[in-house]
Amino acid sequence: MGSLSPAQIAQLKAQLQDAVVCCTERGLYQASKWAAELLNSFPESDHDDSLTDVDSPMSEAPPHTPNAVPKDATEARLEARETHKYLLAKTFFDCREYDRCAAVFLPNIAPKGPLQGSSPPSAKSKGKGKGKAAEGTPLKPSASLRAVQELSQRSLFLALYAKYLAGERRVNEDSELLLGPKDGGVVNKELQGISAILEEWFSSVPESGRQPQGWLEYLYGIVLAKGKNEKLAQDYFIRSVHLCAYNWSAWQELGSLIGTVDELHEIAPRLPQNLMSFIFNINASQELYHVDEQVEENLLRALELFPKSSFLASQRALLLYHAKDYDSAEKVFSDILVADPHRLDHLDSYSNILYVMGVDHSPKLAFLAQLAINTDKFRPETCVVVGNYYSMKSEHEKAVMYFRRALVLDRSFLSAWTLMGHEFVEMKNTNAAIESYRRAVDVNRKDYRAWYGLGITYELLEMHSYALFYHQRATALRPFDPKMWMAVGQCFSKVGKITNSIRAYKRALHAGCYYDGGTGLSFGSQDMSALGGGVLDPEVLYQLALLYERLHDLHECSHYMELVLAQEETPEYDEAEPEDRRGGVGVTATTTKARLWLARWEFMRARYERAMELANELCQDGQEVEDAKALIRDIRARTERGKHDEMESE
Amino acid sequence: MSPSRYLTAPKISLLLLVKLYCTSGFPSSAVVPVLSFILSHTFPTTPSAARTSRVVEQHDVMLSSRAFRDLLQDQKGNIPGSTLLDDVLKHMWEMNSIDRLFGLFSDLAVLLDPSKAEQTEKEKIEYIQLSPTSPLGAFVRRARLEFARLPFDDIVRLWCAFVAYRAPTALWTKRLTASPLLHVDHVVAKMGLSPQDNLFHGAYAHLLEGESISDSFSVDDLERLFEFQLDKLQRLGCRVPEEMKAPLRNILESCDTVPRQAHLVLFFDAWKSGDYSSAFDNLHRYFDHAMQARERIHYQYALLHMAILQADFGCFGEAIAAINETVATARENQDIHCLNFSLNWLNHMSKAYPKQMKRAGYIGMLGSEKEGLAFLKAKARETRTYNLLSATLLNEAKLRLLSGDSVSRALELLYQSSHLNFHENVGNHGSHLLFRSALCSRLGNRNLSKMNCQLLLDCYQDACPLDERIRALGRRSFLALQKCRYDDALRLLGPAESFTHRSLKHHQYIYFCTGMAKSKRAIRHKDWMACDALLPCLQPDPSTDPELAFLVSELRIDSLVARGLYLQAWEAVEKLSMELKDEGADIMQHISLLITKADICRRLGCPERGFSVVLRAASVAFKAHLNTCLYSAVGLLANILNSNGDFEAAMRLLSAIIPKSLENGDVHATGTLYSYLSDAYMGLAEVKEAQSPASLRLRAIRVSRAELYIDRARECFHKAEDVGAECEQLMKKAIIARLRGDEELAEEWAHNHNRVWDMGMERVASSNTKGSG
Repeated sequence: MGSLSPAQIAQLKAQLQDAVVCCTERGLYQASKWAAELLNSFPESDHDDSLTDVDSPMSEAPPHTPNAVPKDATEARLEARETHKYLLAKTFFDCREYDRCAAVFLPNIAPKGPLQGSSPPSAKSKGKGKGKAAEGTPLKPSASLRAVQELSQRSLFLALYAKYLAGERRVNEDSELLLGPKDGGVVNKELQGISAILEEWFSSVPESGRQPQGWLEYLYGIVLAKGKNEKLAQDYFIRSVHLCAYNWSAWQELGSLIGTVDELHEIAPRLPQNLMSFIFNINASQELYHVDEQVEENLLRALELFPKSSFLASQRALLLYHAKDYDSAEKVFSDILVADPHRLDHLDSYSNILYVMGVDHSPKLAFLAQLAINTDKFRPETCVVVGNYYSMKSEHEKAVMYFRRALVLDRSFLSAWTLMGHEFVEMKNTNAAIESYRRAVDVNRKDYRAWYGLGITYELLEMHSYALFYHQRATALRPFDPKMWMAVGQCFSKVGKITNSIRAYKRALHAGCYYDGGTGLSFGSQDMSALGGGVLDPEVLYQLALLYERLHDLHECSHYMELVLAQEETPEYDEAEPEDRRGGVGVTATTTKARLWLARWEFMRARYERAMELANELCQDGQEVEDAKALIRDIRARTERGKHDEMESE
Repeated sequence: MSPSRYLTAPKISLLLLVKLYCTSGFPSSAVVPVLSFILSHTFPTTPSAARTSRVVEQHDVMLSSRAFRDLLQDQKGNIPGSTLLDDVLKHMWEMNSIDRLFGLFSDLAVLLDPSKAEQTEKEKIEYIQLSPTSPLGAFVRRARLEFARLPFDDIVRLWCAFVAYRAPTALWTKRLTASPLLHVDHVVAKMGLSPQDNLFHGAYAHLLEGESISDSFSVDDLERLFEFQLDKLQRLGCRVPEEMKAPLRNILESCDTVPRQAHLVLFFDAWKSGDYSSAFDNLHRYFDHAMQARERIHYQYALLHMAILQADFGCFGEAIAAINETVATARENQDIHCLNFSLNWLNHMSKAYPKQMKRAGYIGMLGSEKEGLAFLKAKARETRTYNLLSATLLNEAKLRLLSGDSVSRALELLYQSSHLNFHENVGNHGSHLLFRSALCSRLGNRNLSKMNCQLLLDCYQDACPLDERIRALGRRSFLALQKCRYDDALRLLGPAESFTHRSLKHHQYIYFCTGMAKSKRAIRHKDWMACDALLPCLQPDPSTDPELAFLVSELRIDSLVARGLYLQAWEAVEKLSMELKDEGADIMQHISLLITKADICRRLGCPERGFSVVLRAASVAFKAHLNTCLYSAVGLLANILNSNGDFEAAMRLLSAIIPKSLENGDVHATGTLYSYLSDAYMGLAEVKEAQSPASLRLRAIRVSRAELYIDRARECFHKAEDVGAECEQLMKKAIIARLRGDEELAEEWAHNHNRVWDMGMERVASSNTKGSG
């Protein structure tokens, strides 16, 4: 998709405008916000409005849609008939009186019971929860259906959506305390009723001759997804986006259902070929941590179209973050912040980046926290930022307090669960940590950090084989992250499966070559220095060597020890590399241990010169000096004795 | 927006000073001033005479940055050529982001507990370690605790307040203006933002919308402010000064939750200003809030305050009911102090307002007075409450004086009380000096009495309640009045205006004193119009001081006598003496009534009728050393002797007491005595053998002596501005001249007499026109 012609741009603007209005009409505020942001991020138009006077006759009229989105006649008629009722319902919705809003259009339908005789198998979802029998007074199916048919799709959507939100609110209230006994166990009781109505409606669509507009499909998809009926939900979401492309919420829901990159590629052909699926592709790839050049290129093209879009810019920053290019990501986020200081979306990811980048950035993180607090104290993003700051200051109790606050505001805020889990691990509260991580993966299966965290926690509890399961899930999500593989290898070695462990470590080496930048993760691992391209991680090599030693394969072991030593200098001396990346790893504790081992090994093999050389290097570096000196004495003794023997034998 | 609990921008600056002191140290000349500065602003203020010189700076609640400048400017800093101010400012400006604020507190943690330090090899700085129980350590600990409690958005507010506080210091030193440190936040500077950018606005919204009052002080500061005010209000019994009213109101309006003590301050203010209903209201409010914090242990204090309030406003019945309940509750709760205080107060009230207390049905709880005082003394000794003991000793001394017991015993008690004051540092100066002054004036030593009053006014005005200062002023003016210096008397009451017009009771006291001075002058001037105008205004009501009430009645009687309305005067005297007998009042009052009676008899022309009265008065006065009364009693006695013809005896009596009366300084009394003496001499001049030259000469001598004394009397009466008496003396002189046969001289004296009378009348007329014009 190249750049667009002015006509196409105009049409796009019209469609976006329409989308904003439609979403707002149906109470989908986040989607309309997204569409409005996109609408306002087109490049500056050629004529400058500020040059013309407001009153002058030449000033531009408000942009009217040249190619208005065609309206459905039936729907328009129905909507016109029920204008007053619609207005009433909308005001109730805005006041958050959801039950009342739903009752405007659906007064007679019992909320809790499935309609008798026509409950489709898809509605028998796992989410029945406590398996209640049908309550309330079910009406005759035909009467209710007729009533429903009288409504325009807009009103029906509003009513059902209001019901859904009412149910969600009750779930939140009944869940009471966060991480308490009832948390996580409560189900939205409205789902059944809603799905029944919608099922009816969809089955009657062919006869009634109505043109579905895509909104009801979207709602049905949500209901199905909550009921864990993901395949069908996906189908309905795809139908929805075909019918109304600019409902970003539908795209988002679709994205959350996609578990792997392969699934994404599968779905791609089924999606409509337009701008929205383009953006969707980018977003989904980002969420799956799938960073490759294709995605980057797509993103850059999108940015050309919408240069001022904060959303796309933040997607770019997130991609850089997943690629571990922290400096550039930080820079992009900083620019977004300057452009739009009151935007709180994705601020939590920004704070994660700053956290990972180290203590030097704590003033910036503090500033971010200050800004967020001033903008809105009661958003989950704000609380996560403040929690991150406290975590950086090692005040873990306060960090937990703020993460909890974030979760109370929004129980499905993923990063808060994961970060809270990290904090509990720091505080050695393993039970709470496990619970938090588990909730994180319940919200989003694709979060590799939560899986990894679970693995680490079980390792802390010395349950290594159990931890293995989790680490493997993490590696499945991130096959090219050496840290995951290292964790797997460590678990295997603790359990005693040496060969598997060796394989895992080799995978880790293999994966580690792919990355240019630092290998720090948000898990507080600042001990590994930045590796230059082509440098292998000496830690991994050392572990491999030790494993070979356990297998009594000393030859391989020594080979790997040599490799460890080799990492002290970088193999290619490239002048184009920046200063700090030229020197390889330098002397570290690992390389020292390797050197010492090698020195002993050579001593045992009677290669005294090499041993002496190594021991001297040790002394020079000032590491393990006593052992080295002891070794040197032994070597000297041996060599003298050898010389003595030689002399005697002559 | 409510103020923060403890941490404010000035406190952060103090913490920086502490950190600087501990890590890099100060030159030794700077250590003491800086440390005392820090401590004076972090420690609760206690009233102490030693600190009175620094009162103003000490109670600067909103510690401004200028105070830092004044302190540090003159101290030399670590780098030669710089002052300590430069160093401190450098550190202040190095705090260039909110992150550094967190850093400051973790550095302070290191100061307290070095094991927390994460020191690398190169950072081993020498620093002074603070012990947690030292004053500085306690301050740092409290600050750290409060900081840990703050939620993040309050920390943001604190940071913005600090930035605003620090901003004016940028221009103070040249070193700083050149350095690149001068931005609010180095993150902001790195991002290249300016205050107009939206991002800056978003982050520093608090800074840009300006500082509100509640940001510049904390709840802790407020509490200290109110403690100070309460201390002053309770000790001195005054109202909140004018300059303080407006700031106080601002502070109270800008806080959402005021500390409880604010209500108590308002209570005292309303009480002294005479606003009964809002005083009540505030008192109840205070104790409601106090109940929240502590349980019922303060119930008896609430009752006590209510009782005192009600008594002050004259509702003695309710006051007594309340105080009874106070005593019962205090007994229940084993609160000895409250119990003693209430008993003492009851005692004091029954002495001070006997009529009203009796009317309200107060039956002495402790038996008779003496028993009551003995009980209180024993209790006070037991519980070692020395101010109560000292006050009780004074009360006992007063009791003895009033009942006419020996003066030496009273003096002994007085010295005991002053010994206690000295040894136990009891601040009882006001009542002590007043008592001494009263004692001296009863003994007839006016100068000493005046001096004691003056001492109180000059030296102890900050330390004694307003009540007592007013009384001292009143007494001084009475003393001047007795010397017949009316203008002085009125002038002395002048300074009272400035601080009394805000409290009803004090205002009334001064009003009465002024009224009495003026009416006395009017009586002497025979200015009946003025008298008629003034006396009805001076109606005592049950809430007036009984002493004043008595004096006003006496004055009224005086005016009746002077006008010649003897019957009414007599009736009034009788009535007053009946009342006095009921109350068991001061014997001096009894005696002065007796003397008045005798005087009326004298004026009516039959002095012998008053003989028994005068004799009793004189003997009692002599026994009780009430010298002023003694002189007038003896004078009247001499007059009676004169009328009996016993001139020799009269002369002897009079020559004995006139020198004493001259010492006393009451010119009117002296004049009267002189006139009696001259009468005596005239009487003596009538010799048996009128013919012998020796007797003639004796007669001439005696007559001339009489003339001499008449002259002296006239001078005295002239000084006293008593026109009538003066004219009487002139008439006497005219008669003598005529008796001698010197008609011309007689004419002259008659002329003089008329002239003086006319002048007197003119003076009256002119003062009236002046008054009405």
